[in-house]
Amino acid sequence: MSTETLHLNIDRADGSLQRLIGLVERRGFHIDGMTLRDEGQARRVELAVRGRDDNRCTRTLGRQIDKLFGVTRVGASAATFHPEVAA
Amino acid sequence: MTASAARIPEPASAPRSGAHLLVSTLERLGVEVVFGYPGGAIMPVYDALAGSALRHILVRHEQAAAFAADAYARRSGKVGVCMATSGPGATNLITGIANAMMDSIPIVCITGNVAQGVMGTDAFQEIDILGVTLPIVKHSILVRDPADVPAAVEEAFHIAASGRPGPVLIDLPKDVQVGQTTEDFGFSYPNTVTPMDHDAIAAAADAIRAARRPLIYVGGGVKIGRATDQVRAFAETTGIPSVATLNALGTIPTDAPGFQGMLGMHGTRAANEAVQEADLLIVFGARFDDRATGKLAEFAPHARVIHFDIDASEIGKLRETWIPVAGELAPGVAALTAHLAGQTLTIDPWMIHCASRVQRTAFRYDAPGEGVYAPALLKAVSEAAGDAFVAACDVGQHQMWAAQHCRFASPEAHITSGGLGAMGFGLPAGIGAKLSDPDATVVVIAGDGGFMMNVQELATLRRYGVAVKVLLLDNSSLGLVRQWQELFFDGNYSEIDLSDNPDFVKVADAFGIEAFRISRRDEVQAGIARLLAADGPCLAHVIIDPRENVWPLVPPGKNNAEMMEGA
Repeated sequence: MSTETLHLNIDRADGSLQRLIGLVERRGFHIDGMTLRDEGQARRVELAVRGRDDNRCTRTLGRQIDKLFGVTRVGASAATFHPEVAA
Repeated sequence: MTASAARIPEPASAPRSGAHLLVSTLERLGVEVVFGYPGGAIMPVYDALAGSALRHILVRHEQAAAFAADAYARRSGKVGVCMATSGPGATNLITGIANAMMDSIPIVCITGNVAQGVMGTDAFQEIDILGVTLPIVKHSILVRDPADVPAAVEEAFHIAASGRPGPVLIDLPKDVQVGQTTEDFGFSYPNTVTPMDHDAIAAAADAIRAARRPLIYVGGGVKIGRATDQVRAFAETTGIPSVATLNALGTIPTDAPGFQGMLGMHGTRAANEAVQEADLLIVFGARFDDRATGKLAEFAPHARVIHFDIDASEIGKLRETWIPVAGELAPGVAALTAHLAGQTLTIDPWMIHCASRVQRTAFRYDAPGEGVYAPALLKAVSEAAGDAFVAACDVGQHQMWAAQHCRFASPEAHITSGGLGAMGFGLPAGIGAKLSDPDATVVVIAGDGGFMMNVQELATLRRYGVAVKVLLLDNSSLGLVRQWQELFFDGNYSEIDLSDNPDFVKVADAFGIEAFRISRRDEVQAGIARLLAADGPCLAHVIIDPRENVWPLVPPGKNNAEMMEGA
C-alpha cells in the first residue's frame, strides 16, 4: 500500500487530535508521519497514512473523517480522498 | 464536520450553577426521563435534580442506565438520557454507550468528573472517560466553564439525533457543576437536509425497471430515518420481494406478501436464497454487517447494488455500489417510488418463485415431545399480545428465536442489541421501552445467562412498578456458545454449564415480583395468558431443552446459501 497524505484542520476541543488519530488507526491505517501546527483558531494537521492491507480504502476513510465534529479536510485532501465533495 | 448554530442570548438572570443550568437545559429540551446512579463527582447535579420536572429512574447499575436510555430512545424516537458519576460510574456506562454506537441510537450520557484542578493527578475516582470512550461515541464534550453548559447540552442533543444518530458524552468536572454564572445562552440548530440526488434516484429507477430478480434489503437505518412508511409503500407499489436485517424486522410486516424474512447467519432459507439469486439489491439503510452477509466475497454474487443511506461512509465500505444514493431515506425512497408508480415491472416469475419458496420453507411448530418448544412459545406470545407487543430481547439463542418467530407490527416493536450483541441488555431495555410507552405490552425475552448479568434491575421494576413481562427461557447453559461448541468445536463443551442457576421464581419473589414457572408444553397457553394479564411486573420462568439449537445456521466463513438445518 502506498502512503497518502491527509491535510486537515482540527479545532481546539478536548480530545480532537486523539479522536482523529484513533479513528485512522482503528479503521486499519498506519500513520507513517504527522505534523501539527497552529494556524489561528484552528490547528493544521498533515497525516501520512497507509492501509494495513489492500482492503483499506482511503476514500472510505475520508468519509469517516468527515463525520468527526471539529475536523475538516482541506486543500488537496478533499479532492484526493473524497472527490465528489471537493470544494 | 461542524455543527453550526445560532447563539441566542437569554435575558440576564441571577447567578446559577453549572448543575442547575444542566437540569434547566434538559427541561427546556423536553427531556422527561433520566436514567442514572449518583456518586461523589456528580452530586451537585443530583442536588439540582430535586424539585425539577425531570423524572429520575434510579437503576441498580450504571450499565442498566445506559441500556434503558438506549431502549427508551429506540421505542420513542427521542433522545435517551443517562448519567453517572466519575470513575467506576462512568466506566460502567461503557457497554451501553458502545451498544448505542453500534446500532446508531441517539443517547446523551452525562458523567461527573473530578475538578479540573486535579485532573491528571490520579485523583480519587478520576478516569479520562472522554478519552476512554472516543472510539464508541459519535461525539463527546468536556465542559470547562459553567457558562458553556447549556450550549454543550444542546449541541450534544443535536448531534445525537441528527444525521446518523449515535451516543454523545458530556463530561462535567465538579468545579463546572458548582461554578456560578449569570450567562445563559440558548442555541438554535438549523435542520440541515442533505440535498437529494435526483439523477441517482432516476438511475436507480431505470435499474429497477431493467432488473428481472430485484430484491429489497432493509436495514435498521430505515426506522432510524423514520422511513418505514416510505419503504412499505415502495414494496407495495412495486411488488418487489424483500428481506430484512435483525435490526429492521417489523419494517416490512412479518406477513406481508413478498417478505422473505431475516437474512444472514440465522436468517430464513427463503431470504438467504433470494439474496444469492437476485440480480439487483435495493439496499435501504443497511451496512452489510457480517452477520447479514456471511462470506462477503460470495454474498449476492449475481447482484448489482443500489444503496440508499444517510451515512455516505457506509456506501461502498464493504460492497461495491453501482448506484449510490447518499441522503435522507424518507424523501429519497418516496421519490424512487414516484418514479415507478403505475408501471409494471417484469418480475412476475421472480415474485412467484420467491412466494413459493416462502411457503415451502416456512418454519414448522410441530416439534415432537412434551417439553416447551421455545420458537412456538415466542410466536404465540407475540400473537397473543397483538399490535401492542414490544420485545426487549437479551442476546443468545432466544434472541434469534424471537427474530425468527415473533410477529412485529413495527420496527420499534423489536428492541434488540444487534451490532454489539450485549448480554444483559434485555431487562434494562424492557424498563426503558415501557417507560417510554406505557401502553405497550413490553415483553423481555431473556436467557438465563444474560438475565443474570443485570438481574439486579428487578429491583427497579419493583420500585417503579414498571409493568414489564419477563419471559425467561432457561436452558441452564450458555446456549449459543454450547451450540457452536457442538457444531464447530467437536462437542468440547467448555464453561457453558449454568445448571447451578438459582431458583428464578424465588429470586423474583425476593425482589417482590410475581413469578411462576412453565415446564411443560401443555402449560404454555395458560402461562402466556397469566403473564400478559398480570397488572404489574411479572416473570415467567420457562424450562426449555438445553439441546435445542437455532436453525438455520450459516457456519462462519461460509456463504449464506450454505445453511445448516437441524433435525
